Amino acid sequence: MGLRVDAAAACATECGAALHGGPLAGLTASAHVLARSNGDPVVDDLLEGILVGERICAFGRLAPAGQPSPTGPHSTDNGVRGAVGGEDVRLARRVDGAPQADAFLLLDPTRQCAVLLTEPDTWQLTTGPDGFDVSRGCADVAVRADALATGHRLTDLGQAVDLYELLLAADALGSVRRMLERTVAYAATRHTFGRPIGATQAVQHRLADHAVRARGMNLVVAEAVRRLGTDASHDTDAAGGTPGTSGTSAAGERSRWVALAGASVSSGAPHLLHDLVQLTGGIGFTWEYGLHLHERRVHQDARLAANPRAALRSLVHGAGWADAR
Amino acid sequence: MPADVDTGRQAEARDEIDAYRREVRAFIAEHGVRMPAEGVRVPRDADHEKRIRAWLAALYAAGHLGAGWPVRWGGRAGHLPVHDLVLMEELIRGDAYRPIDQVMLAAHSLLEFGSEAQRRELLPKIRSAEHVWCQLFSEPEAGSDLAALRTRARPAPDGNGWLVSGQKIWSTDAQWADMGTLLARTDPDVARHAGITAFVIPMTLAGLDIRPIREMTGHAEFCEVFLDEVRVGPEHVLGEVGGGWQVVTSGLASERAFVGANSVQLERMFTDLVALARAARFADGTAAITHEDIQAKLAGALVRVEEVRLIVRDAVDRILVDEEHPSDGPVGKLAYTELNVALTELAMEIIDSAVVVDDIAADVVARWHHNFLWGRALTISGGASEIIRGLIGRQLLGLPRA
Ligand SMILES: Cc1cc2nc3c(=O)[nH]c(=O)nc-3n(C[C@H](O)[C@H](O)[C@H](O)COP(=O)(O)OP(=O)(O)OC[C@H]3O[C@@H](n4cnc5c(N)ncnc54)[C@H](O)[C@@H]3O)c2cc1C
Repeated sequence: MGLRVDAAAACATECGAALHGGPLAGLTASAHVLARSNGDPVVDDLLEGILVGERICAFGRLAPAGQPSPTGPHSTDNGVRGAVGGEDVRLARRVDGAPQADAFLLLDPTRQCAVLLTEPDTWQLTTGPDGFDVSRGCADVAVRADALATGHRLTDLGQAVDLYELLLAADALGSVRRMLERTVAYAATRHTFGRPIGATQAVQHRLADHAVRARGMNLVVAEAVRRLGTDASHDTDAAGGTPGTSGTSAAGERSRWVALAGASVSSGAPHLLHDLVQLTGGIGFTWEYGLHLHERRVHQDARLAANPRAALRSLVHGAGWADAR
Repeated sequence: MPADVDTGRQAEARDEIDAYRREVRAFIAEHGVRMPAEGVRVPRDADHEKRIRAWLAALYAAGHLGAGWPVRWGGRAGHLPVHDLVLMEELIRGDAYRPIDQVMLAAHSLLEFGSEAQRRELLPKIRSAEHVWCQLFSEPEAGSDLAALRTRARPAPDGNGWLVSGQKIWSTDAQWADMGTLLARTDPDVARHAGITAFVIPMTLAGLDIRPIREMTGHAEFCEVFLDEVRVGPEHVLGEVGGGWQVVTSGLASERAFVGANSVQLERMFTDLVALARAARFADGTAAITHEDIQAKLAGALVRVEEVRLIVRDAVDRILVDEEHPSDGPVGKLAYTELNVALTELAMEIIDSAVVVDDIAADVVARWHHNFLWGRALTISGGASEIIRGLIGRQLLGLPRA
């Protein structure tokens, strides 16, 4: 299928470390789905545009139909306007890269398929849901219901969802790695009371704990990458098209590792980074120093997958605990 | 099937490893003596002791233990370090009495520092389990800061050897050990690490007074050992006079792959945690595991378990190809022992929150009570977590000594 999961993950990690602005996880997941539907001229055209870097197809999830009004208290400012107004819309919340996108691939979880939108008059961006992450653009997207009905329906999703969530975890891991290295280096050079702060146990021991935890996250992500990569390459479409279900035990095990990776990073990275700010002191608290940019980003990575809760619930269901009596 | 080492980088040797695993499993089923509880080694009575020694001797005789020793001393040609790991994994799975750390350490110290005469006399007695060893290192005033030890070895008045006086403490198995590795200060006038000498001594020497100490688990596994003018000779010196610190730091030269078995330990603990959550009932009669808050905690614990199992396996992968980083041991120890404590705390939280635990899980509860208390031993002994964090800070992160 032409995708190296390990390469994509390495790339995502570098993007996270560098605070890259592109929607890599979603774009990769979109391309993965599109590649499975080739032969269709619209799809082929878009895929080619993506591969040469000229087009961006954002990846998102449609909220269930009939959900309450898309916007909160600021609806007059943020509400759905223009071509895509009124009642006949469906929302996709928190779509990474939506502001830059010229196409959307939106999962319809109720129908177990995805809808491809390439006509700009079929969607409308509302403003970003919270603007917390400043390194990437993100927005809620309102889609005309008729466009959903008539739009391109892609049913072979392959491992798109697993891939998307894993790349988000890999992205956050990049932030963790880069900032941990930076803080360790800072701790070795910043002197207080005549010695480096890193020579003070209260600082050094926390950095040691963070390094161990970061290694754990790293290895869990690597294991998930390995499994997704191995399984995907000789997957004979057996479990294709049914996101979130474990059609085969291989698919179940794959999703389990993706959930482990998502839960590991989303529950570990935010606290870890927040403590790195503490260990860096006043300079760490500045906008310019930039630790916060990574904090914002790792929270966004978590939010895009509704983690840690979604991943933890997935583990619970996968283990059968939810059915226990 | 759990993710053992044989599903990792060792895939090419998988058949061979599987075969060895089956062999070990059968051996344990046939000869194994049960491990009374985690960390409990001291025999209940003479008969128990006889069976323990016979079992340990059988492990050596069959070439499962001591296989990595030089062939001359009973090691097996073609021994693969991964076999050590498989052995330990299966001993844990089979709930079998495991080799005693202090004995293995003694063996490796003898192999590295022992004289020809010492090796010839003592190594075979380790293999036959005629000798159980203990470690007489820590003192009331010297634990983490071991080099502060004060037990003195003074030259004997007759010029023949030394008279050793002082107090050792936390000496695991000293009450039934036949031999001890002793650290004493032979020269108080040089730099403190340089004045220490290691001795290998029979625990029957005159002047030794051994008193078991009851631990917080209720068992009496470690002891205080008083030394009152215990006479030792040059034949008891291990390595060089004044070279005791090298013996200490050479540490775990072999069977390093044993650490990988912690992965199996965690897998078993997690299984026990789920068993507990199924059997523990809240006031309304529902099982703990049916509640979302408990499910979330279990899932969170599972994530940590998988993280640490991979940390351990990652280190073992390097050990097996001899590419270990000095920080691998400390990282693995800290990650494993601290997670172990966290798991026991979660188990206690579930037990505390329940009004009753189903009868069928009575043994599970008893195990958690014991493991909760015992878990603390692992974060204190063999380098307390605070000391380990310092090692990681220096060896992995390159930070200055605190
Ligand atoms: C179950 C068990 C079995 C044992 N078996 C043996 C045995 O067979 N033979 C033997 O010789 N010894 C044995 N020990 C002793 C063990 O090695 C020591 O307990 C250990 O080294 C800690 O020393 P300590 O007890 O004196 O604690 P201390 O060194 O007094 O430490 C107390 C606390 O202070 C912390 N601390 C100490 N120094 C520092 C520092 N510089 N920076 C930050 N924190 C610090 C420690 O981490 C710990 O939390 C055993 C211990 C236990 C618990």
